[in-house]
Amino acid sequence: MSESLKRIRIIAGKEIIEFVRDWRTLLATILIPLILFPALFIVLPLLLQSEAAELEALELDVVVQGDVHEDLVAALKGDRMVVIIEALPSDIANLSDPGSDGERLRNNEIDSILRMQVSGNNTWNYSILQFSTSEHSSQARSRVLTQLWAWESEVVNRSLLEKGLDPDTTLDPVKWDGSLSAADTATSGEQAGMILSLFIPMALAIWTASSAMQPSIDMTAGERERGTLEALLCLPCSRIELLSGKWLAVASIAGVSVGLQVVGLIFAITYLASSSFIAIPTMSITSILLIATAVILFAIMVVAFELALAMKAQSVKEAGTLLAPSIILIVFPALFTQVINLDGIESWWFAIPLVNVLLALRELLLDRIIIEHVVIWALSSMFYSFLAAWFASRQFKREDLVASLS
Amino acid sequence: MAETLIQLHGVKKTFAEIEALSHVDLEIMSGQIIGLVGGNGAGKTTLLRLIAGTYSPTKGEVTFGKEPLSAMRHKLGVVPEATGLYHRLTAWENIRYHSRIHGVDDEVAWNRTVQLAKLLDMEDSLSRHTKGFSKGMRQKTSLIRALAHGPEALLLDEPTAGLDVTSARAVRDLVVKLRDEGGTVIYSTHQLAEAQQVCDRIVIIHNGTIRADASPNELLEQTGCDNLEEAYVQLTSDKARSRTEDDVKEGRLAKWWRKLLTSSTPEVAEDE
Repeated sequence: MSESLKRIRIIAGKEIIEFVRDWRTLLATILIPLILFPALFIVLPLLLQSEAAELEALELDVVVQGDVHEDLVAALKGDRMVVIIEALPSDIANLSDPGSDGERLRNNEIDSILRMQVSGNNTWNYSILQFSTSEHSSQARSRVLTQLWAWESEVVNRSLLEKGLDPDTTLDPVKWDGSLSAADTATSGEQAGMILSLFIPMALAIWTASSAMQPSIDMTAGERERGTLEALLCLPCSRIELLSGKWLAVASIAGVSVGLQVVGLIFAITYLASSSFIAIPTMSITSILLIATAVILFAIMVVAFELALAMKAQSVKEAGTLLAPSIILIVFPALFTQVINLDGIESWWFAIPLVNVLLALRELLLDRIIIEHVVIWALSSMFYSFLAAWFASRQFKREDLVASLS
Repeated sequence: MAETLIQLHGVKKTFAEIEALSHVDLEIMSGQIIGLVGGNGAGKTTLLRLIAGTYSPTKGEVTFGKEPLSAMRHKLGVVPEATGLYHRLTAWENIRYHSRIHGVDDEVAWNRTVQLAKLLDMEDSLSRHTKGFSKGMRQKTSLIRALAHGPEALLLDEPTAGLDVTSARAVRDLVVKLRDEGGTVIYSTHQLAEAQQVCDRIVIIHNGTIRADASPNELLEQTGCDNLEEAYVQLTSDKARSRTEDDVKEGRLAKWWRKLLTSSTPEVAEDE
């Protein structure tokens, strides 16, 4: 091993040892990425499901006012609702006017009010009053509406039958034949790739940038602030070796962090696939290797850029102020990239910094390998990585690095 | 006879429009303790950083022996004013990190570290994490770290500042021992008494220029003073420069914004 590479390895090794000895940063680097996707894909749906079941089991208080049909009242009672029958208030302009009933809803005395009035031969006007910021009231409205539509359907069917018409052919004359999913020629694996391509590139890009941020700041502005940088700059190693060592350390930490996130993602997808919620995306080995290449090139660029920005700062606080907005610089293009139509996309999109990697990841998750696009994003990413490294090397060569705020 | 180890020839150092050092010629002989004495902002640290290689001269050159300094940095040991220890590493790990970058084998560095630690009475602390070390312990660790690779010259920036009497004495004793063994030490300090006690040669720096370069006794003879303090005052009688707020390197927008949100300070009344 050449002396220069040896020094780079020593610098990187020391940075990593120092980093992993802080259990709080280690927790943020290992535990959070590992549980992020399982928490999003498994725990969150389970929590939502449990909350919905709890709401569904509630017995709700509903007031029915006006011309009440006993079949409808029976249906409401059968859907876990306590029904109180009242006359229509006299002080309202129309059925949607809450009048004095508004306060009863706002005070949670009752959950919803169904008002009905016969307006002609077999026709009704109605309204459902609710307090929409109350979950109980929204749930009551939803249940009342469901039962009302079912009852309306019965009324319509009965009328059609009385006129000698078949409700099925009269109301639904155009019908789908066969299964909806069988008509889609995309495989379930390709469909899964499509769904995942809408958020995985963004998640990977944001996590790569955010996981590199803390170590970048600690190893540059942190060193300046703690006064350790001057002693380091007096050593017989070049600034480029110093940058390379620190870059290697940050890239390793970010790489482990992103790798763990991918492990969590694979676990979550496998779990969901076992419950037939989503299939495992189908991707060729070439696509997987190209995805790894795209993420590595992106990481080279981001880590070098973050190290350079952090090195410009004289304190950790200043570095945080400089680097925090850089996440927004990633989030906006990432969001924008999600809506770009990949079919017939112009090749120049694959030369725009950041957008190129995000689009490449989207295409590759769909297992689309378009040579022209691959060449453009690979070359442009290398160029941007080189630019970022050059910018970082300029920052590391500055003489005022030894000066601290104090 | 002592040989020239480090030579500064016509060295000038400027930062933007500020001239930190003007035309410095200095020869540092091997086997001597050279004291750099001067007030705050005189240029001592700039001179040390030029010798350490963290700054490059704007004009002139710094050589080590007959080689450019950049090629000889492995022959220097540096203790900056901020000791610069990593608090999540032990004292020995801090020392080993620098030794490894110097290309020194761990075993060689360890043997030397133990010798020096015994001299400084800190052999029991080598395995401790430096977080929580006292200022004295930090300075001693930093000193061992600068010496563990066996440098020919040691640069010390205010090595006894803030130390208790015992620690300061231990540092001074080590410096003298190094000189006695043939080493060269460049020692920056505010303390004239300390310089007189330790240094073979005193270089007085004021406003970026060298005002005197002689042994303590020669300085007294040249100035005709009874003590070094008087000699120093005589040699630096012109008003010391001070940096204005505008000298601080900062973006125009940042400076304007900060001033905009700063309330005015009352005027200082003239003495009657």
